[in-house]
Amino acid sequence: MTPFAHISGEETTSSQIWRSANRGEIDLFVRSLSTVYEVVGVQEKRGRLLRSRIDDPTSLVLDFPPRVHSPKKFLFPNGEKLFRFRLGGKVLLETERTSPPRVIFGMHPCDLHAVKILDDCLLEGEADSSYRALRDSAILVGVDCQPDDHCFCTSMGTDRVADGFDLFLHHHDGSYLIQTGSPRGEALLLRHAPRIAARPGEPPLPLQLKQCSNGLQCSSETLPTVLEGAYDHPTWEEIGNLCLGCGACNLLCPTCYCFNVHDRLDLNLHGGERVRTWESCQFDQFTKVAGGDNFRGTQAERQRHRFFRKHKYLREKHQRTGCVGCGRCSRECLSQIEPATVLNSLFKEQAGPVKTQMPGLEYQPQLAEIAAVRILSEREKLLRLRLAEPVRFDPGTFMEVSVFGLGEAPFTIASAPDGGRELEIVVRAAGNLTRALHRLKTGDQVGVRGPFGCGFRMADLVGSDILLVAGGRGLITLRSLLLAILARREEFGRVILLYGARDPESLLFHDDLMAWHQGDQLDCRLVISDSGGDWCIARGEVSHLFRDLDIAPHRTIAAVSGPPGMYRSTNSLLFQIGFDEDRVFLNLERHMKCGLGKCGKCQINDICVCQCGPIFPYSKVRHLREAIER
Amino acid sequence: MKPRIGFFDFAGCEGCQLTVLNLEDRLLELLDMVEIVEFREISSGGGDPLDIAFVEGSVGPRDEIERLRKIRKKTKSLVALGACADTGGINSLSRFQTASTLQQTVYGETAAPPPVALLRPLHDFVAVDHRLPGCPIDGEEFLAVLQALLLGRPPELPGYSVCVECKLAELPCLFDTGQICLGPIARAGCGARCVQGGSRCRGCRGEMENPRSNPYYRILTDHGLTEEEIRDQYRLFNLPEKEDR
Repeated sequence: MTPFAHISGEETTSSQIWRSANRGEIDLFVRSLSTVYEVVGVQEKRGRLLRSRIDDPTSLVLDFPPRVHSPKKFLFPNGEKLFRFRLGGKVLLETERTSPPRVIFGMHPCDLHAVKILDDCLLEGEADSSYRALRDSAILVGVDCQPDDHCFCTSMGTDRVADGFDLFLHHHDGSYLIQTGSPRGEALLLRHAPRIAARPGEPPLPLQLKQCSNGLQCSSETLPTVLEGAYDHPTWEEIGNLCLGCGACNLLCPTCYCFNVHDRLDLNLHGGERVRTWESCQFDQFTKVAGGDNFRGTQAERQRHRFFRKHKYLREKHQRTGCVGCGRCSRECLSQIEPATVLNSLFKEQAGPVKTQMPGLEYQPQLAEIAAVRILSEREKLLRLRLAEPVRFDPGTFMEVSVFGLGEAPFTIASAPDGGRELEIVVRAAGNLTRALHRLKTGDQVGVRGPFGCGFRMADLVGSDILLVAGGRGLITLRSLLLAILARREEFGRVILLYGARDPESLLFHDDLMAWHQGDQLDCRLVISDSGGDWCIARGEVSHLFRDLDIAPHRTIAAVSGPPGMYRSTNSLLFQIGFDEDRVFLNLERHMKCGLGKCGKCQINDICVCQCGPIFPYSKVRHLREAIER
Repeated sequence: MKPRIGFFDFAGCEGCQLTVLNLEDRLLELLDMVEIVEFREISSGGGDPLDIAFVEGSVGPRDEIERLRKIRKKTKSLVALGACADTGGINSLSRFQTASTLQQTVYGETAAPPPVALLRPLHDFVAVDHRLPGCPIDGEEFLAVLQALLLGRPPELPGYSVCVECKLAELPCLFDTGQICLGPIARAGCGARCVQGGSRCRGCRGEMENPRSNPYYRILTDHGLTEEEIRDQYRLFNLPEKEDR
């Protein structure tokens, strides 16, 4: 049963709609909600981030670290009044008034999972009506987060959440995407943010992979078995000896709900109230009874109980973890008792199968969106990809691009390294994958990994004259370099581009070539080997362009990129002119299938191109017999 | 007949009685239920039997000990009011001097200096029934203890540490900012007031029940404190047990 089934009377997974909203619209939403609900969320107070009532929507903080205490206090408050009583004559009981409707902003995914656990524990059997009252009247608005060193949510499967919220705010593009999670959430948007509600739905964000430096080395499902065999393990004594018994682990835990019950009397002793307060199984008196017996007399037993309850008893009872990996218990433990470390040590000793940390993660692409498509030639298209994060690379490096179902291939980056989120590749329709890439439209998604490899290091080139020698598709790589140079043109001397192709139709980047040819930024010379057609371009091989070249080789760096056969002629010409072997850089692209230096497909003799190249100074590859066809 | 209660004070600053007076309206509400027969801060009274005596301050000179014993004799429930009466409080610092040095320091070369004695908590001299720790006491806790005594049930103090109240108040741990705090072993009940106010816990309410001294000692040494510095942390408000002095 989903947590809201008892409220809405229907399952919630039916229609989750994603709509964009900016911060200003969210503020208006909060303001409108405040007229009907008590809105609570994180805000800064006296230099601390605390969850409390929001009076000014602009003070609501939506981006906050996992360190902020959990929202448990709104659903299961410490010191909650259960009922009032009056003394004197007949005892009179008065029930508490129902709680005010409340919207809780800023539930991290782990906190939403924690509410599911509280639901399991407090609503099963005869439901705890005090909890139910607060729970039913609370609208939960989730927000995404970034794990810190103490989080191990990825090990507990609580780093993301598919249901259990009314609305969820995802950071997206400097703004937000609001995901509805329940009919109640949808109704809330309709009533209090009609502008947002009127927007058409957007495609859901792909699941973001979170990275936790902390984590379990075994699957969390095996923890009951791991603990089963560790009841008498010395580790409990060890952490018992470390424990201060302060109970911080329990008090800060979003799923701990054990409580004590007290009577609090009015000053005049005519009446009072019965309240429940948060309790900790780490306290001395937790299991103490009137006769003086203490059923868990040592700190070791208490710590063991905490671990068993979170990771064995509750999981076995509710088929759900009792711990959401939020790390609050260890983050504020003065003795640094860290659950993942304790559980890992127990697990390792039992020599069970070790869970690899996210197997295959390095092969898993991030999703990128097609930002633009441009036809370059009959067979070549330029795809502009928009990545989730800004990307830094050197010209000459490459990306692995994939279409799911058809595989993955390396593509050299054709655009300048501008530090933005977008980059360009050129795809020649050749096989299934590249034909599929040709069919993509703006807004479609592909997988990307990288950038990989060693490219041109701009710092090595600055101050020199630059000679770029490109043949055919070799221009794609050199375009990235040339654009990078032109972006800081004044830092370089002369720039010369020699570019040869088979026929005019095969010349790539017509617009660029035209601009370069007509501008005064560089000396751009073209040649084609077949018929010239309407183009007034010299005929011949690239090597012909060397004829009238007057350059000073000692202050020039040559970058050569073209089909394998081209290097044979150009290399010798360059050395005839007087180039030093360290000043000639070659693009030796091979089939760089994995990009990780593992698959062996891009090996040139003993060198792995995807790791050491594909851009090499000639001096580094001269001895490699496979490098250049001689 | 209304229970008769009295307030007495020995060596101390009377800040704890002031805390009681500061309860103002709430104190007036209380007065309906009790008869305050002795209160140096507001009245003075005779020597009739008392139901409850709240005794503030530490005791040292012989005549003071006698006065305390007389109070004890005529009182059903004797409550140590505040740190000086309860654990020795700030007065316990006197144990690092001899009585004559103290006399010399305070009164100089006066011809006839008043007698000076090292100051001790009440329980060194008489049986203490109940305690209200803290420097000063917590007003709410005073009311709760008085309520309990009026209802004839033993008052309870929190047995856990100040850390608990600090976490509940969502205060950041001072150890994270490189400060030394006695919260992990000090008895709660103050609502972590000093930490709330930007200071640190100095343990004025004495130790919690079952303080975990070993792990705490390790944490302090991890924070670079020497054994002597660790002792200093404890000394401000806490007198060791008689046999360890």
